[in-house]
Amino acid sequence: MSALRQVMCRSTASLQLYQANRAAAARWASTATDGGPLDPKTALARPEELEQRNKLSGKITVPTAVNLSPISGVPEEHIRERRVRIHIPPKNAMQSGTDNVNTWQIEFDNRERWENPLMGWASSGDPLSNMNVQFGSPEEAITFCERNGWRWYVDGAAKPKKERVKNYGINFAWNKRTRVSTK
Amino acid sequence: MAAIVRFNLLTKPQIVATLPASLHVQRFQSTQAPPPGTPPPQTKTKFGPLADEDRIFTNLYGRHDWRLKGALKRGDWYKTKEIVLKGADWIVNEIKTSGLRGRGGAGFPSGMKWSFMNKPGDGRPKYLVVNADEGEPGTCKDREIMRHDPHKLVEGCLIAGRAMGAQAAYIYIRGEFYNEASNMQLAIAEAYQAGLIGKNACGTGYDFDVFMHRGAGAYICGEETALIESLEGKQGKPRLKPPFPADVGVFGCPTTVTNVETVAVAPTICRRGGVWFASFGRTRNSGTKLFNISGHVNRPCTVEEEMSIPLKELIERHCGGVTGGWDNLLGVIPGGSSTPIIPKNVCDDVIMDFDGLIAAQTSLGTAAIIVMDKSTDVIKAIARLISFYKHESCGQCTPCREGIGWMNKIMTRFVKGDAQPAEIDMLWEISKQIEGHTICALGDGAAWPVQGLIRHFRPEIEKRMQLHAKRVSN
Amino acid sequence: MIRAPLVKALGALGSPTHQMASRAVRTSAMVAQTPAKAPEKIEVFVDDIPVQVVPGTTVLQAAAQIGVEIPRFCYHERLAVAGNCRMCLVEVEKSPKPVAACAMPVMKGWRIKTNSDLTRKAREGVMEFLLMNHPLDCPICDQGGECDLQDQAMAFGSDRSRFTDINYTGKRAVEDKDIGPLVKTIMTRCIHCTRCVRFASEIAGVDDLGTTGRGNDMQIGTYVEKLFLTELSGNVIDLCPVGALTNKPYSFVARPWEIRKVSSIDVLDAVGSNIVVSTRTNEVLRILPRENEDVNEEWLADKSRFACDGLKRQRLVAPMVRMPNGELQAVEWEGALIAVAKAIKAAGGQIAGISGQLADLEAQVALKDLLNRLGSEVVATEQGFIAGGTDNRANYLLNSTIAGLEEADAVLLVGTNPRYEAPLVNTRLRKAYVHNELQIASIGPKIDLSYDHENLGADAALVKDVCSGAHAFSKVLEGAKKPAIIIGADLLERADGAAIHATVAEYCKKLKKPNWNPFNVLQTNAAQVGALDVGYKAGAQTAVKAQPKVLFLLNADAGKVTREQLPKDCFVVYIGSHGDNGASIADAVLPGAAYTEKQGIYVNTEGRPQQTLPGVSPPGMAREDWKILRALSEVVGKPLPYDNLDELRNRLEDVAPHLTRLGQLEPAGDAGAAGTISKSIGGGAIDIKLKELRDYFMTDAISRASPTMAKCISAVNKQQRENEAKQSVAI
Repeated sequence: MSALRQVMCRSTASLQLYQANRAAAARWASTATDGGPLDPKTALARPEELEQRNKLSGKITVPTAVNLSPISGVPEEHIRERRVRIHIPPKNAMQSGTDNVNTWQIEFDNRERWENPLMGWASSGDPLSNMNVQFGSPEEAITFCERNGWRWYVDGAAKPKKERVKNYGINFAWNKRTRVSTK
Repeated sequence: MAAIVRFNLLTKPQIVATLPASLHVQRFQSTQAPPPGTPPPQTKTKFGPLADEDRIFTNLYGRHDWRLKGALKRGDWYKTKEIVLKGADWIVNEIKTSGLRGRGGAGFPSGMKWSFMNKPGDGRPKYLVVNADEGEPGTCKDREIMRHDPHKLVEGCLIAGRAMGAQAAYIYIRGEFYNEASNMQLAIAEAYQAGLIGKNACGTGYDFDVFMHRGAGAYICGEETALIESLEGKQGKPRLKPPFPADVGVFGCPTTVTNVETVAVAPTICRRGGVWFASFGRTRNSGTKLFNISGHVNRPCTVEEEMSIPLKELIERHCGGVTGGWDNLLGVIPGGSSTPIIPKNVCDDVIMDFDGLIAAQTSLGTAAIIVMDKSTDVIKAIARLISFYKHESCGQCTPCREGIGWMNKIMTRFVKGDAQPAEIDMLWEISKQIEGHTICALGDGAAWPVQGLIRHFRPEIEKRMQLHAKRVSN
Repeated sequence: MIRAPLVKALGALGSPTHQMASRAVRTSAMVAQTPAKAPEKIEVFVDDIPVQVVPGTTVLQAAAQIGVEIPRFCYHERLAVAGNCRMCLVEVEKSPKPVAACAMPVMKGWRIKTNSDLTRKAREGVMEFLLMNHPLDCPICDQGGECDLQDQAMAFGSDRSRFTDINYTGKRAVEDKDIGPLVKTIMTRCIHCTRCVRFASEIAGVDDLGTTGRGNDMQIGTYVEKLFLTELSGNVIDLCPVGALTNKPYSFVARPWEIRKVSSIDVLDAVGSNIVVSTRTNEVLRILPRENEDVNEEWLADKSRFACDGLKRQRLVAPMVRMPNGELQAVEWEGALIAVAKAIKAAGGQIAGISGQLADLEAQVALKDLLNRLGSEVVATEQGFIAGGTDNRANYLLNSTIAGLEEADAVLLVGTNPRYEAPLVNTRLRKAYVHNELQIASIGPKIDLSYDHENLGADAALVKDVCSGAHAFSKVLEGAKKPAIIIGADLLERADGAAIHATVAEYCKKLKKPNWNPFNVLQTNAAQVGALDVGYKAGAQTAVKAQPKVLFLLNADAGKVTREQLPKDCFVVYIGSHGDNGASIADAVLPGAAYTEKQGIYVNTEGRPQQTLPGVSPPGMAREDWKILRALSEVVGKPLPYDNLDELRNRLEDVAPHLTRLGQLEPAGDAGAAGTISKSIGGGAIDIKLKELRDYFMTDAISRASPTMAKCISAVNKQQRENEAKQSVAI
């Protein structure tokens, strides 16, 4: 109950903050030259951005580590034996879209699968294999795993993309091997 | 193809340069002393006919000797040495003063284009490429120059080459022009032998080579970057711009691609002065021009005339009028196959120059006038043009490759009338989807005839559909 | 990418606030940075959001910087810009017509509108044209479900067709081409993006593909019927944005939504390419590359991609023991382990182990631990290396690193053919050749590397010439900013391998630059570096010399050990996945797991440990190799101190801590053997095993079992026969 109250308090506080920001934004818009000290982060932001920021700041924080595994109903075997891989799913080499490869996911170690003899469907005895949970950061995923009592490991950090210089002109360069030979 | 390099391919400063004349006029009036290279203000109000002594191409009809001896007699190669020695800036200024605009169809100011080449070099050689791939249906001006006055072009190459500091000129000639190519080659050989080009050309100390390259018969190779590709021995598929040829052109070196006529008039402009050339035609449309009139006229011809001459006068004076009289006129394609058709009521008072035809929602193009009288099936005529463009599309970029094929399918049905009236609007939209979305201007050139047809002859198309529907239901 | 702009377009429906917020954060961060640093950057606006970019950046890249992905078909990050699909047209304020974002460099102050009416209309128009001649056969198309054209038609296309001519003349149809046993073509689906053409000529270095015809009749193909045979041909399947080029062995096998994808590592060469294993039920269906900038970029060699059908054939599914009549008979695990344990007990410490090409690090550690407990120190790799050279890690690594090689400007290849030994190292070399003006010379037989190189000759004495600085190419190496010498691993098996190694290592000390180690050994076996790292001796003969009573063959299938070399009473135990050379000489066969069935670490040729993940479970009674050894240790009575993978990895960390930092590279020092090597380089020609394409396809137990690889070899042979026939006609 106290947690709930805390959340409510926070949300009202954030609402006030939001209104204050809006007022600030309005003032900036109407009299640009009044020269008061403005926070550029809030002053230049659009209302919906402010709203979003405030929503994000109103997160529920749970202070202590909680282990849900005794009450989650997941069989003991799945908790003790299994290892969770926290990773960013790789981009499908067949597609150029990248919309689905920006979040962290958890994945359990793979278990045996077989073809259903009746229908030919893929069968598995693994209740966790189809669990697909996405996280914004590895930390969130780790927290999730720890609360459920799973052992985890993080696979692969997000690497910065290499910057490439793309130049159409080098296809016709006079002294470079980049000159196009076939088309 | 040379005809259809359009504004939308130009960079911003270039576009500014081609803005309507009025802006420029105002600017000239406000400043007292115009900078060098400014054409003189327009004084004339009536244009054409052109006096014989003002003709540049004096052997257009091949009545005289086309070889060096005859050319010298007609004044070619006269004081070329002095012109070359006056230097690049002088030549470019003279061309700027003359107000010469590219004769290949886009009408880009030649002086400015040539001056782009005079950036500080980086060690790469520069090249002049002469676009003699005259493939635009209806156009037959460059071939007349090349077979009857080839020395004008050779001399022009030297002068234009000097103006841009080029080491060599490549004349890319259309493969089908066999006789023209052979005359050109002879003329080049004569010029080499006479020491007019080659090492120490005309005794100026300037080395300049002229090479001729025969194409293999693709219309698209008349597009400047496709021409460059073809010259390099690759498939003639246009390149994207930027980089412009003045930066990365043939063999990766700075290049200017110009039309035969543009180059061939340069020596005369330099000899008689830019002001003389600018005295013909309206401001920003100055000079003389070769007009090719074909189709339903009594005497089809290629003729040199003053710019800004009214279309009607041009046809009546030089071609003996439209067959069956002016009233028998259906429409005119004024600038080669890629320009939109204009109907008779527009033809009555349209002026044959760049701005005059743009005002009439069409274009001067290569000034290849295709006249159609009332016996013409105009839908079939345009359908034939589209089928030409479909055949000549290089297939590199999507809108052109797929879109023109589609337009061709629709147009083929329109000829029979086997279509719904709603498809006319669809065809219009398709043509708009092609226009401006392609790499080169061929897509535009294919879209405009269709747009011209729909703009002016929509009732005709609808009538045919009704007829067909009636025939089918019976 | 595909959906982002759509969501934005929907506005109220989607949840764009998240994106907007993140963008705003990025933007404000950028604004804050601007005055301080990067003065050379120019500012442009993408959908009114300011972006700082370096001059020369294309519109498409500028938009990508703030997460706006512009649709594209022909553009590919790793290929040259073509600009011909026109899908990436975007509006730029004050430009009369839309510009092709993939090729157009941004100018200062440009306002790019990636979602304006003009932009969307242009996209829709291009989409309509592409679909006009594209068959509506998605239900029977293998690309269906992972097709760029489908995705983008969904996001940017119109919701209905206007193609009325379908009732009159219909769509274009194009004849399919036969370009080999790996790539299936359905050319009617082609949208002429020319990605495959560019890949072939730029990356693979074979100008086999091209366009013929023009306009609507333009076709992609080889012009004359010819197979598109290169070691990288499979990548055109990935590159093809539609279903025109599809995976032939995988055709009509599965749909992308019914398969499971497991990120793993390829072990068929020593590059350690990152892969995604696609599985359904308990079957590996296909293998795709996974992007890793440091290793394989996003390419994959054909063997790695197509040999996966070898995982289903020739498998050992039950333990087997050789009966007195000489036949191997399937037994229960218990029986097999007891038989082996008996032999071990009888051997009294005269035991040896040989680790082969595909063994994982865990099994290698377990085998070494087990043998040590049984009183033997004789564990060796099947492939040889110079004696005494394994103490220094730099001696057997590709020290310049795979990604580093693309910055090299002078490379000498000694007795190696990277094109077939490590195709993806060769693509790096080719990249350096194309973009970095790399000069390459080779010592060894004349080979085709897909780029120009100077063959200095085959004589081994040339190594000395070059390394003494006397040879002309020495000047090139010494003058280079980043020189590299690459020695083939097979070369070092020679008698004078140590001398060659020492000579080159000595010379490389001279060539060394800060942060650049020019000494490289190109390994061919995925297990080699890992084995040497955990203390295996090099060379099967080490084990044979010990004349063991019991010999363990851990995935050792190269046939380097024969029965004749071993004592008559030697009991050979084979642990591995395939019934190949190793199993045929074994007295007991313990079926192990293949690389798609186990979680195991492999160390690639540059020394980068990476792990495979199990996609399927081992067939029949087969088990993971280290578990077999663990079970055996229990039966022998010397139990190994680890019961699960984590504990085993802890043990591995004790042995070689750098091998548990997966994916990371531990730089090694200078190469050079500890002992003094005075042996001079003997004469004689340097030879290479994999000289031409046909040698490439079958190099290990898995690829030897693969029918697809067999088809490839017969296709190469057929092509050669045809070429010869043509030549004889011409003569």
